[in-house]
Amino acid sequence: MNAYDPLVKQLLDGELTLAELPPELQAEASEALRLLAAVDRRAVMLPETLDARVMDAVRTRARAVSLTRRSLGWITEPWELRLRVRPWALGAALAAAAALVLVLRGPGGTISKQGPAATASALPESLLVRFVLYAPGAKQVGLAGTFNQWNQSATPLVRASSDGVWTVTLTLPAGQHQYGFVVDGRRWVTDPAAPAVDDGFGRRNSVIAVGGTVRAGRVL
Amino acid sequence: MTTPRCGVLVFAAVVCAGPLAAQGDVTARLVGRVPPAVAVAVRVLADSAAARGLPADPLVDKAIEGGAKGVAPERVIAAVRLVFGELDAAAAAIRAGRVAIPDGETIEAGAFALAAGMAGPQVTELVRLSTDPFPPAATLRVAGTLTALGVPAPQTVELVRETIQSGRSASDLLALPAKLQSRVARGASPAQAAAGLARPDDVRGPPPGQGKPDKGHPPRNPHRP
Repeated sequence: MNAYDPLVKQLLDGELTLAELPPELQAEASEALRLLAAVDRRAVMLPETLDARVMDAVRTRARAVSLTRRSLGWITEPWELRLRVRPWALGAALAAAAALVLVLRGPGGTISKQGPAATASALPESLLVRFVLYAPGAKQVGLAGTFNQWNQSATPLVRASSDGVWTVTLTLPAGQHQYGFVVDGRRWVTDPAAPAVDDGFGRRNSVIAVGGTVRAGRVL
Repeated sequence: MTTPRCGVLVFAAVVCAGPLAAQGDVTARLVGRVPPAVAVAVRVLADSAAARGLPADPLVDKAIEGGAKGVAPERVIAAVRLVFGELDAAAAAIRAGRVAIPDGETIEAGAFALAAGMAGPQVTELVRLSTDPFPPAATLRVAGTLTALGVPAPQTVELVRETIQSGRSASDLLALPAKLQSRVARGASPAQAAAGLARPDDVRGPPPGQGKPDKGHPPRNPHRP
């Protein structure tokens, strides 16, 4: 649609008369006045049932939206969250959260492990256990087992004497543990003084049961 | 936020927190200790174990052990599968022993007994013998240890049966492996040592000259043959 000349617009707004326009705009102004006169200026009367029909249509469309789409909208649409917190309640909530974190994290900073070994570690019953290996030609000996995540450098044995006796004493939680000695960082050796079971890799693990009492139906 | 939405969120958090935490725990324990492929396989097996009511920690422990020992990934996975099978078999054997829902500790003890060389029916028999005050986990661990020390499995079952049915305490049961080792150290074979422990005098009380005598039993003269 072509825009009218500003003077013609002023004419339509009633600011100018047709006679005040320059001759070259007379035709355009006349056409604009003719179109304006053709406009139906009667008041628009809406039917009384229109509101009801519109609302029915809205409800019908709302029901037609799939469950998936509504669920997606439920997740993706922003929610208005209003919190009214009393200062003392906030302090208590922070303390509870800190306590929860301490409970969930184990003594080594990892999430607590479940099972007998962890159950035992949570109990006060732990015993000092001395491990001894006779390895006269060894340069270094380590102890690895379920109690130290099989880390062969975590628990080194020390040479107890010049005749090749290596030993270490450590605190183990009550329960059953499997372990082995690692000689010179590469050779796994079972404890000749302990029972052994197949390790599933073609070798054997030594087994030690720490503790010897039964309380409340649990082996310690 | 509306109340229903809050309720749904809290419920979802409670329901999902346990499994997600367990899964995260498995992943966290394996990171840096085993190859990624092994970690994925173990996580799948751990999920299956949890779904079957089996403890997942033994699976993770075995994978970590394999990684520490430098075992090839496929062999680590095979070993973890083997542990899974032992746990499953142990749970079945324990359930057959009239423990409807065995806890993880008992299942682990049963798996240990199986790994030590016992058979499923023997595990079931040991669970049946484990009446109060003998927890099934304790009985299974002792039996597994005795078998691992070289005592034939049937003889182990009989030794445990005699110990329990003779009215001895749970501490006496737990002391059997140490007593057996002591006898083996003096030159007896495991079977001979177990046969000696099966005699009532050996099951009851400390060795001559050690500890306090049982009430009603006068102290024995250690020099008397």
